[in-house]
Order: sequence, then structure tokens, then C-alpha cells
Amino acid sequence: MSDEKKMTEQESLDLITNMIQKAKSSYHDTGIGSLLWGTVVSIASFVSYFERTYDFSIGFDIWLIVLAAIIPQIIFSIREKKANQVKKYEDDALNSVWLVFGLSIFALNFYQIVVPGVTSKFIQEDGWQMTKHYLDGSKPDEVLIPFPPSFYSLLILLYAFPTLVTGVVKKFKPMLFGAVITYGLFIGSCFTRSEYDWLLGGVAAIICWFIPGIILRRKYLAQQKKHV
Amino acid sequence: MFKELDPILHSQLRLAVVSLLIGVKEAEFTFIREKTNATAGNLSVQVQKLKDAGYIEVTKQFKDNYPQTTCKITPKGIEAFEAYVQALQQYLKVG
Repeated sequence: MSDEKKMTEQESLDLITNMIQKAKSSYHDTGIGSLLWGTVVSIASFVSYFERTYDFSIGFDIWLIVLAAIIPQIIFSIREKKANQVKKYEDDALNSVWLVFGLSIFALNFYQIVVPGVTSKFIQEDGWQMTKHYLDGSKPDEVLIPFPPSFYSLLILLYAFPTLVTGVVKKFKPMLFGAVITYGLFIGSCFTRSEYDWLLGGVAAIICWFIPGIILRRKYLAQQKKHV
Repeated sequence: MFKELDPILHSQLRLAVVSLLIGVKEAEFTFIREKTNATAGNLSVQVQKLKDAGYIEVTKQFKDNYPQTTCKITPKGIEAFEAYVQALQQYLKVG
């Protein structure tokens, strides 16, 4: 592109449109983050479903893999930040949305771990307790520790939120559709037994992150090929 | 009465640079060079002219021991770009 060339008004307008389009299409999401979270959350969800349904244990809490995934995510984020030649206005906002999402997931898990014990203590102080009573009298009553029912439904609801924001802001249809379907899965999970919530959560992770991750990765690799 | 087209912006490469920067928060020199297909020397000169006019901010720093130049449009640059587009539209309506 030379500086000396005289342009007509139409050429100027075409150049502006062309450059704005080039800047818009320069988004280089490697898709690794989406693939990582889609994989670990779906694996953890499906393993939890099978453990509950077929009454066995793999010997450790499978959700630890989600915690462990934070380390590679940090490494990928630093690498992507270094490789990115352009910073868009929406980047900071979207990063904040995903950070808040991560914090909310941890806060909800904290709630799930802490609240039953604390509630149990409070109601005992008030002089009563929750019991499991079998209507047919086949088994004796059991003392029940209070628990948030269908807890995983809340996580499914939360999965849809940052995905929808990203889909809308980036005009990325796979995430947009993934989020809308996930809202449907959330509604479905409210009417199913809790073990099926894990199954629905696994499906949500696949459609929210894993499939969009594959599409992003393909786009990224195709873009990289063009540059070679 | 037609507004005169801003001579700083009414040049192919400078207009391309500003049009790229208008849609992003900031961009590296290498990114601008790649998108405009300009030579590094020519682009440096035009970037300097835009900087002198106060239309863009240029930050030079080191990233992994390599010099890195980042460009960012200023509020004055946005204003000038908007005025330029308005003037263009005026010309094109009549044409």
C-alpha cells in the first residue's frame, strides 16, 4: 500500500470498510481454553453420573481435574496474550465475565460444602432435625443432613451465562446456540432426578465449550495455515 | 458548502491505519503492517505523521527482549475520522 496514491471519495470509503472488516476478522482465539474446559467439565460430569447411577467410586473426587485445569489455562492465557497482536475493546469485558463466572462456580461449590453442615448445626440448636422417613415403613427413619436439592441445575444455569455473553458480543453462533440449549437443559434438569443433572451438565459442557472449541480451533489453524 | 477532506487522513496508508485502529483498543505495528501490506519504512513514516497530528498514540516497549511498537487511536483521532467520514458521505451524496 503506497501513501502517494490519490484516492477518489468512493475509494476512500471502500478502503475504510475493508480495513474495519480486516480488524473485525482478526480475532485469534486458539480455541484451546474452550476445548480444555469443555473436556474436563464434561468428563467430570459424566463420571459423576456413572458413579451415582451404578453406585461405584473411582477412588478420588473427579472434580479435582477441573481444579487442576486452572494451571494449563493460566499458561495458555499468558501465551495467547503474548501472541495477540491486537487488543479489542470487548476483550477486557469478556475476560472479566469469565473471571466472575469462575469465582461464582467456586463460591457455589463453597456454598454446597459449607451450608449443609452449618444448617444442620443451627437446626439442632433450635431443637429439631431433618429425617428421612420411608412412607411404606420398610426401613427405619434416618437423620438427614440438609442439602441443596438439584444443586447441579444451578451450575448448568451458570454455564449458560458467560457462554451467552461471549456468543452475543463476538457474534459467535455456536456459543450463542450452545447457551440457549443450555438454558433448556437447566429447565429440564429441574424436573429430573439429581443423577440425571450430571448427565445434562456434561451435555451442557460439550455444547457450550467443547463443540465451539473445535470450531474455534479449526478456524485458528486455517488462519495460521494462510500465514505460512 | 463542502467540508474539505482532512489532508492527514486523505492518504491511502494513513487512512488504512486509522481505519484499522478505529475498531480496536490497540494494535501492534506488525499487525498494522500485515493488514496494510505496507513496507516497514513507509509505515513508520506515516505512523509518525499520524502521531505528530495527535491522531494516534505510539508506545514503544520491549516484549521478550524484542522491541514492540503499539498504536492506539486518540479521542482527537476518532473525532477527525468521524469528520472525515461525514465529509466523504457529503461528497458521495452529491456525486
